[in-house]
Amino acid sequence: MSTSEMLGKVLSDLGKIGEIEASAIATRDGLLMNADMHVKGDPETFVAMSATMLGAAETATSELNKGIPNRVIVETDDGKLVCMGAGPKALVVVLTAPEAGLGLILVELTKAAEKIKKLI
Amino acid sequence: MIETGIPKLDDYLLGGIPEGKSLVYYIYPGVEGNVFGMQTMYHTVSNGRYGVYVASSTDPRMIREQFDEFGWNTDECGDRFIIVDAFSGLIGADSRERYVVSDPEDVNDLTQCIKQAMEDLDGPGVVVFESLSTIMDLCGESETLDAIEEWNQYAMLYDHAMVYNFTAWPYSEDTLLHIKEDICNSAISVGGISERVIFGQYFGILKADWMDVPRKCVLFKIVRPGGIRVYIPKILVTGPFNAGKSTFVHALSNRAVSVDRLGTTIALDHGHIDYRGFTADIFGTPGQERFDPIVKLLSGEAMGVFLVLDSTNAADFVRGKRMLEITMSFGLPIVIIANKQDLQGALTPEEIRKKLSMPTNVPIMPAIATNRDGVFEAFETLVDMVMEVD
Repeated sequence: MSTSEMLGKVLSDLGKIGEIEASAIATRDGLLMNADMHVKGDPETFVAMSATMLGAAETATSELNKGIPNRVIVETDDGKLVCMGAGPKALVVVLTAPEAGLGLILVELTKAAEKIKKLI
Repeated sequence: MIETGIPKLDDYLLGGIPEGKSLVYYIYPGVEGNVFGMQTMYHTVSNGRYGVYVASSTDPRMIREQFDEFGWNTDECGDRFIIVDAFSGLIGADSRERYVVSDPEDVNDLTQCIKQAMEDLDGPGVVVFESLSTIMDLCGESETLDAIEEWNQYAMLYDHAMVYNFTAWPYSEDTLLHIKEDICNSAISVGGISERVIFGQYFGILKADWMDVPRKCVLFKIVRPGGIRVYIPKILVTGPFNAGKSTFVHALSNRAVSVDRLGTTIALDHGHIDYRGFTADIFGTPGQERFDPIVKLLSGEAMGVFLVLDSTNAADFVRGKRMLEITMSFGLPIVIIANKQDLQGALTPEEIRKKLSMPTNVPIMPAIATNRDGVFEAFETLVDMVMEVD
């Protein structure tokens, strides 16, 4: 199995926990590596913006010596977006349904990030 | 010459496939490579020539639908789009095609049909095999290899070009080597890469016996509709504050989004361009110094860079040069955009070159991004430079 296929598998496993509408893996500098989209949209733009958010958040906190954020969570009326680093080179991001519980998603996302880190 | 219709490949092949010669798309498993043969088929037919498509693993009706998916209407091509049906016989279905192989597992039967189709063509055309590997699975490896030689000779008689889609499943070493190196006049490898962390698909010329083979690898992407596009995953657009970077990204892109607040870009512009066989994702950086950490973060792994300058504002040129440093652009192909040429007091590209003391191998091109003047010329220049890099 190629690395690309393995990454796809990580995302499809992540999708099995339910209420995840889109998930993607990208480089820290915003290039798409793999996406599992169940909503209409452009995954390239989705990950480019996610990488910017995560990078901006990291810069904002580390400038004030508050360390590196574990994740960035964005809540809207229509859902949630969670973006997390996966090793120094990659990041993983999910978009959920509005009623999704964050607890399980964070646990699974952390596991997925660990796997991605090992794969890359 | 019969053009392959694959962007850049025809340039590298010095125009295409000479009549009477053969070409194999040598496709690594897992890559969606059969589109190459389809694109060559459609390109030839839509240019008013004849094309024969040998269907060996798909129902001919499904094949027409597959072409439709790419926006290639086969009905419009009328009787120039010919299918040799080597599939229906397998499942015992009726066929509406003119050429039907009654027993696709018998290579002689297949050869008979293909020869007949070649003879009937009214002028030189192309014969495309949907999947040579399927034929090999059905008829046997050595039988198929012998048949290919026969088909290629026959094509020579009638000045047709032969094009094979071949997926390199684990056949015997000899067979694979034979197909890659001996049996056809040219071979194009189509594979996937996991180089660094970006995943992509590439094609490159392995062999072409009518020319010196350029050692080039081209990244591609398959788009629907559209087909095969040469793909550049990241082009960076940078430059000082208020130089027109966002306007430039939007002028160039088919679709683009920006994160703008109070009239300036604070995060990035992201655009997507699909232009003359090329597709690229474009990242535009903010220009103000307080956003430099983000600029640095987003500029990794770019394949080419546009530096956008406001031609009327020489005071900011130094900042522009500084941004090339921040984005670590030196060493990458760079095109400088002398923007806002319509404004009074705009410096000419040559004046800008002098002020920046830029070497002459960095093109400086005039543009007016607000009405798209010069932006596509600049894109073509940068793409050419990116393609020259190995």
